[in-house]
Amino acid sequence: MFADRRYDYLDRFRFTVAYLSTPIYWVADIPTRVSLWIDDVFVSQRDLIEENAQLRQELLFAQRELQLLAGLASENSRLRDLQAASQTVQGRAVTAEIINVSNDPGARRVLINRGAHNGVFEGQAVLDAHGLMGQVVEVLPFTSWVLLITDSRHGTPVQVNRNGERAIARGSRSDVAGLELEFVPDTADIVVGDLLVSSGLGQRFPKDYPVAEVTSVVHDPGQAFAVIRARPLAQMDRTRHVMLVIPDDEVISSVPVPDDFLGAGPGELPVTEEMSEPTDSTNEGNDIEAERDTVPDDNVLLVRDADEQEPDMPAAGQESADTETDETVMPEEDGPGPGEDLP
Amino acid sequence: MTPRANGIWVIILSFLVAYLLEIVPFPEWAMHYRPAWVAMVLIYWVMAIPYRVGIATAWFAGAFLDILEGSLLGMNALTFALLAYITLSLHQRLRMFSALQQSGMILALVGLSMMLSYWIKIGLEESSEGSLLFLLGALSSAFIWPWLFVMLRHLRRGFDVH
Repeated sequence: MFADRRYDYLDRFRFTVAYLSTPIYWVADIPTRVSLWIDDVFVSQRDLIEENAQLRQELLFAQRELQLLAGLASENSRLRDLQAASQTVQGRAVTAEIINVSNDPGARRVLINRGAHNGVFEGQAVLDAHGLMGQVVEVLPFTSWVLLITDSRHGTPVQVNRNGERAIARGSRSDVAGLELEFVPDTADIVVGDLLVSSGLGQRFPKDYPVAEVTSVVHDPGQAFAVIRARPLAQMDRTRHVMLVIPDDEVISSVPVPDDFLGAGPGELPVTEEMSEPTDSTNEGNDIEAERDTVPDDNVLLVRDADEQEPDMPAAGQESADTETDETVMPEEDGPGPGEDLP
Repeated sequence: MTPRANGIWVIILSFLVAYLLEIVPFPEWAMHYRPAWVAMVLIYWVMAIPYRVGIATAWFAGAFLDILEGSLLGMNALTFALLAYITLSLHQRLRMFSALQQSGMILALVGLSMMLSYWIKIGLEESSEGSLLFLLGALSSAFIWPWLFVMLRHLRRGFDVH
């Protein structure tokens, strides 16, 4: 046990034996797949037509937003160019399916059906259609374990989408899945309903993916920090399909940023919150209009930042662009992420 | 003289089924009630054929469960080895017990192993301190034991495992 914690050589052993354990997971997953198959096969035509219409409508909305996004993205990149700001992590995504859930009540982990043979690596961010879900903590040949952001040992660097206030969202320690913002001073401007997005500090998660929504803010005069709870947007216990983000390494540039950008006041940068800069990996992410819709592989799709989150954001407070300029981005490395080394 | 080994595949198969049951997804509210299938199957075999299934088997069974669950390698191996040791030293008595008494013993044994892995996880900060609700798993194990016992005994006699 202690050897497993301290040294790496047992990982290889684990990896090898996992070839044996994969079939067991495969068999254990059969009931779920059968029920999904039944759902697929025994479905009425009317339901299908209804669903089709609904999907068409959603697609229409999404495409409209995409058009807006193209303009915003180019404007945004020009502004960032002026500002010499560091780049956001965008990246592509591969889909995966959750095939099992950890049976340990104290841990919130899920098993997905992609592993080392599919190019999964440790620390990879996992999303679902609604928001950030977790990160890969253990890679096995054909499966990987994902630590969810609601695990009490997991901390996610987030920022409030409205004003860029930064915090660390830690998994709730109670039995109810949720997030708690740690060490937020009482004076911080965080209110119920605020959208928390990943801040990208810590280099583990891509920036600006929606993480959670603040559900309660309690200012207890007896405590040094505000007690803030948030509800993760990702549907941890309902979804089966997730996405693994493949970061574009080239996008993470290391531009040193002068300190005066830190305290830039409101109104200085009329940039929208979204910051989404879909980039392909060859150019530095500054001129982006043309290639953003190329889909490299039928299994690989471009991830857009929070398309569906945009309408319900407050239109005020568009000055969040100045807050992330202080991250002097280092080239990605395998250091301990922000996720695991919390007290 | 040790009898000739027979029906090893029955033992392996019963363990495989136990592993399967161990990882079958449970709904959130039933998480705590998951019986310790592998531990119970192990206890049965140690009790029934202690000259073939012993501490070493328990160790490997536990290590495999560790890999399956992604828990710390050796945690279940240690608790299972301990379980096998206790069962080995008690197996003569256990066989004489009534079903109810056996269930009581299962409650104690599985509860002990769960407590032990909980302590290990807390001690190594692999998991957060939570309620002791997980001990409900020992209760459900004790509840299921009589049926499991009868089933495995039928299997053992039917396939003449010794």
